[in-house]
Amino acid sequence: MKKIVVENLKYRYPSTEKLALDDISFTINQGEFIGIIGQNSAGKSTLCQALVGLVPHFYQGAYGGKVIVDGIEVKQSSISELSLKVGIVFQNPFTQVTGSKLTVYEEIAFGLENMGLTRIEMLERIDSVLDLFDITAVKNRNPFDLSGGQMQRMAIASIVAMKPDVIVLDEPTSQLDPQGSEEVFRAIGELSNQGMTVVMVEHKIEKIAEYSDRVLLLHEGKCVDFASPADIFSRDDLHEYGVVAPVYTRVCQALKQKNIDKKTYPATLSEAVEVLRGKIHD
Amino acid sequence: MIKVKDVSFSYQAGTEIIKDITLHFDQRSTAIIGQNGAGKTTFVKLLKGLLKPSSGDIIIGDSSVNETTPATLAKQIGLVFQNPNDQIFKRSVLEEVLFGPLNIGQNPELAKENALNALKMVGLENRLEVNPQDLSLSDKKLLCIASIIAMDTNIIILDEPTIAQDHLGKQKIKEIIQSLKEKQKLVMTIIHDMDFVAENFERTIVFQQGKAILDGSTREVFAESDILAAARVEPPSITQLGYWLGYKQVFLTEKELIETIKTDSKIAL
Amino acid sequence: MKALTLYEDRNTFIHHVHPINKLIYIFIIIVVPLILPLFPVLIAGIIMNTVLLLIANVFKKSLPIFGFVLLILLTVLIIQGLFHAENATPLFHLGPLLFYKEGFFYALQITLRVLNIVAAFMILVLTTKPSDLVETLVRKGLSPKIGYVLQSVFQIIPQMLSTMETISDAQRSRGMETEGNLFVRIKAFLPLLGPVVLNSLIQTRERAMALEVRGFSSLRHKTFLNEVKNYRYTTFIQFTLWLVLLAAIIWRVVL
Repeated sequence: MKKIVVENLKYRYPSTEKLALDDISFTINQGEFIGIIGQNSAGKSTLCQALVGLVPHFYQGAYGGKVIVDGIEVKQSSISELSLKVGIVFQNPFTQVTGSKLTVYEEIAFGLENMGLTRIEMLERIDSVLDLFDITAVKNRNPFDLSGGQMQRMAIASIVAMKPDVIVLDEPTSQLDPQGSEEVFRAIGELSNQGMTVVMVEHKIEKIAEYSDRVLLLHEGKCVDFASPADIFSRDDLHEYGVVAPVYTRVCQALKQKNIDKKTYPATLSEAVEVLRGKIHD
Repeated sequence: MIKVKDVSFSYQAGTEIIKDITLHFDQRSTAIIGQNGAGKTTFVKLLKGLLKPSSGDIIIGDSSVNETTPATLAKQIGLVFQNPNDQIFKRSVLEEVLFGPLNIGQNPELAKENALNALKMVGLENRLEVNPQDLSLSDKKLLCIASIIAMDTNIIILDEPTIAQDHLGKQKIKEIIQSLKEKQKLVMTIIHDMDFVAENFERTIVFQQGKAILDGSTREVFAESDILAAARVEPPSITQLGYWLGYKQVFLTEKELIETIKTDSKIAL
Repeated sequence: MKALTLYEDRNTFIHHVHPINKLIYIFIIIVVPLILPLFPVLIAGIIMNTVLLLIANVFKKSLPIFGFVLLILLTVLIIQGLFHAENATPLFHLGPLLFYKEGFFYALQITLRVLNIVAAFMILVLTTKPSDLVETLVRKGLSPKIGYVLQSVFQIIPQMLSTMETISDAQRSRGMETEGNLFVRIKAFLPLLGPVVLNSLIQTRERAMALEVRGFSSLRHKTFLNEVKNYRYTTFIQFTLWLVLLAAIIWRVVL
């Protein structure tokens, strides 16, 4: 089932000349985990904001084409109506703290109160996301007293609790230690398995390769390619887009060891181990 | 270059964030790693004199941190903050980079020379008159690095330098670290990016709950997989690949692993 | 982080009084002496307020604020006692100064009124969690946006101060002297303002986006995580308060 349809999307920020998004078209199916990669200023964050309606509702500017999420055309809807269908987590966890709540527990409830959920429903959802993102221990703390990593988990939990059909995450693990970001990826992966559609921007390329069903490569506002991680990372022109393949792919490329399909190189640790192991040891 | 003797620190009595740390820093480039909340940032603030130890002493060069102000220490030790917005306040890129050197008493000509060299290192030499607020986040970060390098201190600490950097940005930071090393400077970092640690730092110290639980060459440290797991530190990707391929040795770079596999000649290459 | 609040978390009868009743109480304390401008009424108010502050176990907490207010009122007392336009009857000497009855009692009346109003506000502020108060008002129909501003200001200001600390750290790190005499401190303080203001502008914009995507402007009927607290004797207290007002009006009309 098509969840997100983007047709010839063009966008230019006010008082700039260059298009931030330049004629982008793609579709995303329900339950897919999509990674967006590209160098800085490729348009990744702008694309995220276009999926949730911040472009063009919050940022003005020249807008063309269509973004349709779950049958609703973003431009014709409003941010708060869209917020029930599609959630977004931003890079900076600090500015995602509302500032009006005194505990992590109440903070997560903020969106749920705006949705008009019953108290019972709220309690259930909050307990479940606290557990999923491993922040139950800090639930009574003031949100501003959390570490960057904990704040980032709380920001994600606050959106996941709203149970949107689609969740967009813009570098959601930048402040987390490796274990912490692995846990977050795993939790988001689990949500995607349960049917939530995930769109994630991340520089942690090894994790993107491991968790994404498909990867969208952006460059200067254009969609260069949108394919499986193995296909994307096997491209030999990646460096032209300021992107580097996962270390596993690079090792296999150097050793000229392809996947069984004979076309692509391994993109993940387990694929690389599978391809290489038999050939080194008996 | 830095001697840390029995240093403890707590904001409130009873909850020590740094527990009795003794460390000596020489010229080896050093990465401090560990889980969120392990005390890494607090430790760096102590080195910089922004916080004073509850007990113990830190000697930088030949002066004790306890007896100097951060402003005086600035001649010897530079710190690049994690969030560039906390640091930038001048109206042009050049002024921003000149601020530190002039503050610590470099004469204007030397300051300008240092500033221009530092900006060249980070690739912002053609944007001297630009307002820093118009730069992208990653360029702002590079600007902050330049504004510390220009102070020409013997010790430079980078707080999470690779956050928000793409491949190109990381390459640049890698080159900067390399050239600082060549100038005999001590480069330290607090960082979560283990792949970056493996490629760029000679020495690694692991923090856990306010203590330095592991300290050694980066290769030695990443060999201690059990202790690392307990401290919730994930080894670099290349180290993991080597491990899962059944190698006993610890790999830190792609090149090492590729060479080893090539010589392990079962593959017809 | 400490939020900006004077609230004292105690478990007393006053803490369990409905915030709206505390607001009505403030109203009564302001209005009744206007209807009945008599000294005994003001004195009764002082006694009532003192008793309530004592019951709420926050009397000590309120003393510094009263001290501050009294200090200002003392100047009123002196000026009016000496120079009030209708001064005619000498009251007492204080050294070479002669205080007059008219001005002195006029000032005393003002003093008692102000003290009463401050005390009534203290009862509200010291015994009511700000979030409970705002939430109660939002439930009663206050716009959630105004409610948000009222609640967030208590947290965002301390947060700005801590950002300022970080920025100051960054500048000290680059050799700016911030310790020393007043001149050094002022010189160090000014460069902080640019980044602080800019930072807050950036943060405000980002925060506005973050609130929007959590449905802040949604037209749906808003619900609350916290249950309505079980406040004590709400109807009875409210009834009594209105009765006092009514009694004051009747007294005024009849006398």
